[in-house]
Amino acid sequence: MSRAIGGAALAVMVATGALAAQQQQTSSAIPPDSNWTAPTSIDTAALKGPVQPIFFRHDIHAGQYQIDCKYCHSYAEISMQPGIPSLKACMGCHLIVSGSGPLVSDSNNAHEIQKLRDAYNNNKPIEWVQVHTLPPFVHFPHMRHVVNAGLICQECHGQIQTMPRVYKYSSLKMGWCVSCHEQRKVTTDCTACHY
Amino acid sequence: MSDGMNRRKFLKVLGVTGGGAAALAGCSTDHVEKLIPYLVPVEDQIPGIATYYASTCRECAAGCGVHVKVREGRAIKLEGNPDNPINQGRLCTRAQTALQGTYNPDRMQGPMAKGADGTFKPISWDDAIAKVATALDGVSGDKVWFLTGNERGSFAELVDEWLRALGSSHHVTWEAFSYEAARYANRALFGLDALPTYAMDQAKYVLSFGADFLETWHSPIEYAREFTASHAFQNGKMGRFVHVEPRMSLTGMNADEWLPAAAGSEGAVALAMANVIMGEKLSATPADARRFEDALKEYTPEAAAARSGLDADTIRRVAREFAAGPSVALPGGVGTQHPDAHATAAAVMVLNYVAGNIGKTVVFGAGATPAGGSAYTDLVNLVEAMNAGRVQVLFVHGANPVFAAPQALKVADALGKVKFKVSFARFMDETAADCDLILPDHDPYEQWNDFEPRDGVHLLQQPVMQPVFTTRQTGDVLIDVAREVGGTLQKQFAPASPDAATYKDYLQGRWKTIQRTVGNHDPFDTFWRNALKQGGVWSTPRAQPVRLVSGAAQVLATAPWAPPKGKLTLIAYPSSTVYDGRGANRPWLQEMPDPVTKMTWGSWVEIHPETAEHLGIAEGDIVDITSEIGTVRVQVYVYPGLRPDVVAMPTGQGHTAYGRYAKDRGANVFALLDAKATVFGGVSHYAAVTLEGTGDHVRLAKAEGGTRQLDRGIAQAITLAAATKGDYRAWEAQEAAPIPERVKAQQESWQEHVDRGKDYGPYKLETTRWGMSIDLSKCTGCSACVTACFAENNLPVVGPDLVRQHRQMHWMRIERYFEGGGDKPLEARFVPMLCQQCGNAPCEPVCPVFAAYHTPDGLNGQVYNRCVGTRYCSNNCPYKVRYFNWFDYSKKGDPYFAWPEPMNWLLNPDVTVRGKGVMEKCTFCIQRIRGAQHEAKLKGVPLKDGDILTACQQTCPTEAIVFGNLTDPGSRVSLLSEQRRGYKVLEGLNTKPAVTYLEKVRNVVEA
Amino acid sequence: MATTAHPEPATQQGQPSYHDVTRDIAATLGNPGRGYFILMAFVLTVLAAGIIALLVQIRYGLGEAGYEPPVMWGVYITSFVFWVGIAHSGTLISAILYLFRSAWRTAVYRTAEAMTVFAVMTAGLFPLIHIGRIWYFYWLIPYPNQRGLWVNFKSPLLWDVFAVSTYFTVSATFLFVGLVPDIAAVRDHVTGWRKKLYRITGLGWRGTDQQWRHFGKAYLYLAALATPLVLSVHSVVSWDFAMSIVPGWHETIFAPYFVAGAIYSGVAMVVTLLVPMRKAFKLERYIRLEHFDNLAKLMLLTGMIVGYSYVVEWFMAWYSGNAVERASAFYRQFGSYWWGAWTMNICNCLLPLFLWFKKVRNSIPALFVLSLFVNLGMWMERFIIIVSSLAHEYEPYWMHHYTPSWVDWTILAGSFAWFFMWFLLFAKNFPTVSIVEVKEIIPFPRKERARA
Repeated sequence: MSRAIGGAALAVMVATGALAAQQQQTSSAIPPDSNWTAPTSIDTAALKGPVQPIFFRHDIHAGQYQIDCKYCHSYAEISMQPGIPSLKACMGCHLIVSGSGPLVSDSNNAHEIQKLRDAYNNNKPIEWVQVHTLPPFVHFPHMRHVVNAGLICQECHGQIQTMPRVYKYSSLKMGWCVSCHEQRKVTTDCTACHY
Repeated sequence: MSDGMNRRKFLKVLGVTGGGAAALAGCSTDHVEKLIPYLVPVEDQIPGIATYYASTCRECAAGCGVHVKVREGRAIKLEGNPDNPINQGRLCTRAQTALQGTYNPDRMQGPMAKGADGTFKPISWDDAIAKVATALDGVSGDKVWFLTGNERGSFAELVDEWLRALGSSHHVTWEAFSYEAARYANRALFGLDALPTYAMDQAKYVLSFGADFLETWHSPIEYAREFTASHAFQNGKMGRFVHVEPRMSLTGMNADEWLPAAAGSEGAVALAMANVIMGEKLSATPADARRFEDALKEYTPEAAAARSGLDADTIRRVAREFAAGPSVALPGGVGTQHPDAHATAAAVMVLNYVAGNIGKTVVFGAGATPAGGSAYTDLVNLVEAMNAGRVQVLFVHGANPVFAAPQALKVADALGKVKFKVSFARFMDETAADCDLILPDHDPYEQWNDFEPRDGVHLLQQPVMQPVFTTRQTGDVLIDVAREVGGTLQKQFAPASPDAATYKDYLQGRWKTIQRTVGNHDPFDTFWRNALKQGGVWSTPRAQPVRLVSGAAQVLATAPWAPPKGKLTLIAYPSSTVYDGRGANRPWLQEMPDPVTKMTWGSWVEIHPETAEHLGIAEGDIVDITSEIGTVRVQVYVYPGLRPDVVAMPTGQGHTAYGRYAKDRGANVFALLDAKATVFGGVSHYAAVTLEGTGDHVRLAKAEGGTRQLDRGIAQAITLAAATKGDYRAWEAQEAAPIPERVKAQQESWQEHVDRGKDYGPYKLETTRWGMSIDLSKCTGCSACVTACFAENNLPVVGPDLVRQHRQMHWMRIERYFEGGGDKPLEARFVPMLCQQCGNAPCEPVCPVFAAYHTPDGLNGQVYNRCVGTRYCSNNCPYKVRYFNWFDYSKKGDPYFAWPEPMNWLLNPDVTVRGKGVMEKCTFCIQRIRGAQHEAKLKGVPLKDGDILTACQQTCPTEAIVFGNLTDPGSRVSLLSEQRRGYKVLEGLNTKPAVTYLEKVRNVVEA
Repeated sequence: MATTAHPEPATQQGQPSYHDVTRDIAATLGNPGRGYFILMAFVLTVLAAGIIALLVQIRYGLGEAGYEPPVMWGVYITSFVFWVGIAHSGTLISAILYLFRSAWRTAVYRTAEAMTVFAVMTAGLFPLIHIGRIWYFYWLIPYPNQRGLWVNFKSPLLWDVFAVSTYFTVSATFLFVGLVPDIAAVRDHVTGWRKKLYRITGLGWRGTDQQWRHFGKAYLYLAALATPLVLSVHSVVSWDFAMSIVPGWHETIFAPYFVAGAIYSGVAMVVTLLVPMRKAFKLERYIRLEHFDNLAKLMLLTGMIVGYSYVVEWFMAWYSGNAVERASAFYRQFGSYWWGAWTMNICNCLLPLFLWFKKVRNSIPALFVLSLFVNLGMWMERFIIIVSSLAHEYEPYWMHHYTPSWVDWTILAGSFAWFFMWFLLFAKNFPTVSIVEVKEIIPFPRKERARA
């Protein structure tokens, strides 16, 4: 119940934030009010979205600690692909930050962070499950949408900063792309994306 | 970049995920993909953005610079390096396929040792190196031999020093084609064991005696460029090119006049011309040339005519034109690969000398010695040594004598007599198969190395990615062996701190000296970094004057080639695709139609129609060709560009090993050649043969249908005279079918209608219309654009069976049409045929689902994922440039799967890999267009003309192809398209193509 | 001739009585004999083979068919046009001749009509079989989708989609409506599951005057509706070719030429079907020589039109002065497909000339053989028009010769099996001769008595 209200409040803030972001023409995660803390949550089927090898909490990183999206997805403004952080980048913080929190179903942040450290120490990359997948015959230039169109990440990816586990917010189907392109009166030429 | 190897340590991980790439299957956005991050980020690798590394192409000895395009840690495309003085940014057919060597599924995956049972077993590198060390243990130095291909640079020196440290001096360099005759002639005439550079761009008159400088001779890209500079039609002028050779090679096809002199008579012709020039005092002949007078006496034009079967007057005329200069005569190709070739080469040089070209267009000392100092005799000596048991340990690197040397030399048997043979081959080739230990070398793009194609030019190679397999650089292996062996070797190569000594250190050590020689005073790191960036360092060495040595004339005494009565002369010419066979394991090279015959996948024998008829042989028949040496069985290709008394066969096919793409295709012509070294120490590529039909017949896997253009003005050409008169439609008079009086009226009214429809229907293009112009007076038909297109657009190879059904996927194809023939001189024309991006495209309205449609920027868009495959668009395309996916070439396990691991790493992530049942075609490299547009938009600057290069344009050695925006009046393409020489193919159909061809201009003698 | 009252005057002059008609025709519906089952088994086997070939093609790709660029259409489109063509005579005979009140049609129109429906059902398969991604065939249909994509109404292929589906709907309805009274008639003669079938399909027909009145009207209107289709459908099909720029296709004469050809082949097929059926079902009394004579005349007429069209094609090729057009026309007759061209010339133009002779028109065997030749010839005509034109287009470098593969042939055979399967089912379960209409044309016995 309380979470629902929080959600509603969030939505409002997101909206305002969106406007702000659009004016400054570059994207960034919209922080919830600064004293927002991500609720303790457990990696169960109850959550939306696919289970990841590590229960990485966007709501903690982007929400509670208000880390800018591009801090980790650093290529969103220059490349077709936003990129995902290298384990080294993760370790940048998690050498020190080892997580805490109550033990819920014998796991807590500390456990998850340990997984990360192990992976790094054993030179074993983590196989994240891709949530936002496009069929290979579609070429989606992130940089054009972030820089030129000035969209904020949430526009397509939803309220990432409140998601304990990331799920697919938009359908990512062609109709969805086209409708937006039509609203904004930008190209709807097939070969803009299909080649 | 310097320690890039370690930095890119984990790129391969990502490479693998990207590797599977993008088939058209699976439309859902829900299917699960894995995202695998770098462990350690790489500062010069950004996912989704290509990085380019300068390196050097090692396909042949020319030493072209390349930029390797790397995406997500995988090299995916080669482009020419504009800084490189030799290729100046252009690449040839073979270079474009180099990465298929890197990602070849048949590559050695690691060191292998031959077991007692004669089969190879993988072993660890440490064991392998130990094996070598033990093999060397207690062997006296001079029993250790090292055979390499043409290596000039650090590696060659390392090998020499290494051998020296072992107490051996037996470093044998050998190339199948290494111009021994020319060097012999130069020794005899000028006392120089060197090859000159031929400044074709300085000449207005090029006279080639068999030199196939557009295919394999010396440095094809460079010479193609220079030739175009001299011969292309530019502001009303052009040079003249006459080609003397019994077979019309690709180079011959580009000649204004082809003189089919009898095999081996080129020398006589050259001397006769010299004779004419001296007799008529046509040019400033150096005084000392007088000592040729006696020798020349017998070579009257008539005598030469008698021997060559040419017309005496033609010889006189050409001699006079030649003397008028500035001119250059080129000795080369198979014309200098027969028993008497040294005399031929000398004769041509004498012609140059007499015409006063030496020092002007024929420059010594400029160090054009691409094929190195190697000679066939060296190999012969090695074989003798092996047979005599004087070789105990043999190292083989970059050479495959078992295949590419005359089979009669019996290299394989000789190898059998060597106790321990080590191969550094990257593939299981015929020679490697006969060795005891294989230590596979890195691919050129995985290793640190350098190469000196000619004096003063130092080119660098750098690893652009993590090695695909657990191979190791031969340089490093040698050093490790030194370490293992100890003693002098150890001292020399692995000083105090062992781990410091790698081949890269050796290389850099040597480059410190190079830095001094080029007089660079930066700190070494800066020098090194810049050198890496521009692909090397170079200085133009000064020319050196030459004078005739006494008794120069003797070399002219000839023993002309004369096959015994009733026998034909076989010409074994170097294939312009697979060369001496090293390209045979590249599916792209196998499937790319041979520029001359349009044949794919295998070898063939070319027979003149008359001869074929006389022998009762038809195209596709299987014949036995028998020389004194041996017999090969091969399919017949009937080719009018050949003297009736000559048959020709390309080298490079008929492998018995060398991987799935090369093995058991065609026949090995080296089985017909005499192993005896010629006077000049080379191989004779002539053989007297008889042909015999076997009664078998096959359908040739050739790409072409008709060879005549049926007066449809597809490949248009006019004479220089007409061009200078500005009569650019002269061809119509010559060629077009006579139009009946009665339909003239209708035609005119139709023409009006056509003009009214200039900007047709919905296709008004206010902003952009992408267009292309192709200058046929520059296009040499070399087909580099074809393979460039393969590499850029993920075109699958379909294999010989499907090529027989003409299902090959060549978005860019070079159409070759013959004109004349019979009593008229035979003429060949080339038309690069790609999608014409019609403004009024017949393919678009017929597509029921808008998969083929017109883009706002004037392309004929093709939306692969929308296509249902009715194929109406292809039926309705008059140019036939749409290609259908008859099978699933991208699906693992399907019968025609084209991308066996790791070949799929080649796939360009910017281009959809098409699945079965869809139509595909050229869209002017739309991925490059979109890429450039994204870049410009990000920068906030407008696109400039020349920002976008299509793959074909980028590689075209003669800059025949220009791409750009037709609505921008200033762009190069619109200027060219408005030239009066321009025409559109099948213009009468009112398709309004975006491709404008500039008609070929032929500098022929008006009858 | 009858002088005295006779219980069955009709029989005397070979005229069946109303009772005979119902009995004889109902007899054709009796339980099938061994021959029927053997035939059916054979047909089903061939059909199975065709389906397997199709599955192979779908699994590995269209390459399994013999296609060789530039010949991108081959046996499949040929067969499509062929079957659509077959369909035509049906509507012609049933609808147009009905409107013209020509009495002789009554005996044959039911067969023709059934043939039409099944032929369209067969034809409709081929566009699907021939496309590269059959699993996306529905993209050819304009339906609202999330992509917001639409179809290209400019494309003749799309016109086909509509033409064929319309044609199928109308001809099927027409056939069925015509059947209703007959079903009702036989309903009362049969027992078992058939009775159920007829009770349903009979739509409770009781033969009241009101029903008859409505029936007559409906039938008339449907006939009127179907008539234009005879001309339109195959014209549309012909535009698949005529709208292109392929030399040998791009011809204004195509529409009439194709329609004539369609009717021609259709009539031939009717004959091919009638002859054995008449024998098997002992319908000699209803399907009489005069009917065949008329069909033969129709064949002769349309055959001549077809022949004329060929000549016009040659003439236009020459008269246009267009080198490419000429080359194409020449290639068609003397190029690598000469055998096909001359098969079609002989079968379609020369052999039908025999029909000038009454002897031939009245010899059932002769007609049967002739009809087979015409079927062959007409299939070959489509093959030649499609393949030889594509094989010899504008770009000489890209001219190649196409030979169908086993998949093409098997699927073609399968299509015939598919067609005959339906026809056999129909022939055994529904009156193949219209009881009602045959009765209509039997002179009333009363007249006879009156004259006496």
